[in-house]
Amino acid sequence: MHFSPLPYLDPGSGSLIIQIVIAALLGIGVAVRASWGSIKKLFGFKPKADDDDTDGDAS
Amino acid sequence: MPANSASRQLSASFRDPSGFLFSRNGILYRQINHAYSEDYARLMDSGLYEKLVKANLLIPHVETDQAPAESDAGFKVIQPELAPFISYPYEWSFSQLKDAALATLSIHKRALKMGMSLKDASAYNIQFVRGKAMLIDTLSFEVYKEGEPWTAYKQFCQHFLAPLALMAYRDVRLSQLLRVYIDGVPLDLASELLPFKTKLNFGLLTHIHIHAGSQKRYSDKVVEPRKGSMSQQAMIGLIESLEGTVKKLTWTPAGTEWGAYYDATNYTDSAFEHKKQLVREWAVEKKPSLVWDLGGNTGVFSREAATSGAFTVSFDIDPAAVEQNYQVVKKNKEQNLLPLVLDLTNPSPAIGWDHAERDSFGQRGPADMALALAVIHHLAISNNVPLPQLAQFFAARTKWLVIEFVPKSDSQVKRLLSSRKDIFPTYTREGFEAAFLEQFILHKAEHVNDSERVLYLLESR
Repeated sequence: MHFSPLPYLDPGSGSLIIQIVIAALLGIGVAVRASWGSIKKLFGFKPKADDDDTDGDAS
Repeated sequence: MPANSASRQLSASFRDPSGFLFSRNGILYRQINHAYSEDYARLMDSGLYEKLVKANLLIPHVETDQAPAESDAGFKVIQPELAPFISYPYEWSFSQLKDAALATLSIHKRALKMGMSLKDASAYNIQFVRGKAMLIDTLSFEVYKEGEPWTAYKQFCQHFLAPLALMAYRDVRLSQLLRVYIDGVPLDLASELLPFKTKLNFGLLTHIHIHAGSQKRYSDKVVEPRKGSMSQQAMIGLIESLEGTVKKLTWTPAGTEWGAYYDATNYTDSAFEHKKQLVREWAVEKKPSLVWDLGGNTGVFSREAATSGAFTVSFDIDPAAVEQNYQVVKKNKEQNLLPLVLDLTNPSPAIGWDHAERDSFGQRGPADMALALAVIHHLAISNNVPLPQLAQFFAARTKWLVIEFVPKSDSQVKRLLSSRKDIFPTYTREGFEAAFLEQFILHKAEHVNDSERVLYLLESR
């Protein structure tokens, strides 16, 4: 298959493959964190505010 | 208005088929092509545009009823807010490049939450506007399709992560590699130059070293990943990993060329204050809108000029001074001061395709006023530039020139001459005036209190 539409930048074969591998690994961490958050919530802990939702400077 | 009346397409934006920049009657516009209409609509309707503009991460624009410069492809013409001075990553200090990297990732993350993705991660798409690292390319967004990898991953690593890691772990001057490699530092080169200990850092190990190995391994193979090969969770994991890796990279100026300069000069407080006062007075009197402080060090005198309301670019050769200057900008939330790294004896050239993608230092002028304080002896004596050529250089770059003449009797000049033959018989106040008054009209000449230096206010002829 092709990505639709094809990107105008060449993402590079090697870069694509390693990205998918690394991201799959890191995605597990995100998933664990998300489920851990819902477990904590179940026990009445307040979830931490996501700093990206605060409008302000990114730096 | 006819489509092509006096409109000129800008050559820096030719790569992206989504649209391009053009100028018409001195105003900068961006044409959006039909091919991009869906993505543009999503950007505006989803609330992402508003959110990013409010967070000072995206340059604001207004939609216009101007005719497209290329009417067949054209869908809409927008007028973005102008960045007061365009700068390039090889002119940024460590923290400027780092903030640009973090802004890029933050934009991508926010976009993902609203069903969009940043399709490129070019450092040239970031500019410092009102003191903030901001995306200036409104056409960098695309509708995110879950399952697809980040097309800009390689570009992010080359434009940001590799140079930052090299600056932090090897030498801050390696930012200059960006001047050679317009699409960022090749990862195999970065991997080779980085010290071994960076392989013990998970982020650098994966995003640079292993990434470089994978590029080499698959360099001549065509890869078509399966659909849905990268979940949104995996994408977020990747972005957070890049964010964490960048955040951990630090560089602190130490042993700087100029760090202790103000302490080591023969300046008295009174001379220093007098110079500040003259710069401020003259800037307020002449009301420049763009000031270049050439040899601005940590920006003490740039700030005096900036009190006139002028946008002031504070150039210095020393990355440590520029870094300190930028930290002050951030701390005080200064909006009209931009510190940049520049070697006046070898200023930024025009680079890229047909020498037209990135402008040279000279092409980005002229300024309304330039400050050349305590710099002439470095150019005339250390760099052997004859005074008439110096006068020509400044006259081509500014209308008003505030220049300090530092005589041979000054201890700083004595120091420069102590280790070399004095081949500068014309380096005198008379010789200086003879050379500069060929190019400039003399408005003021003031002795700086408690020193042998003279400060001039000149207007180019």
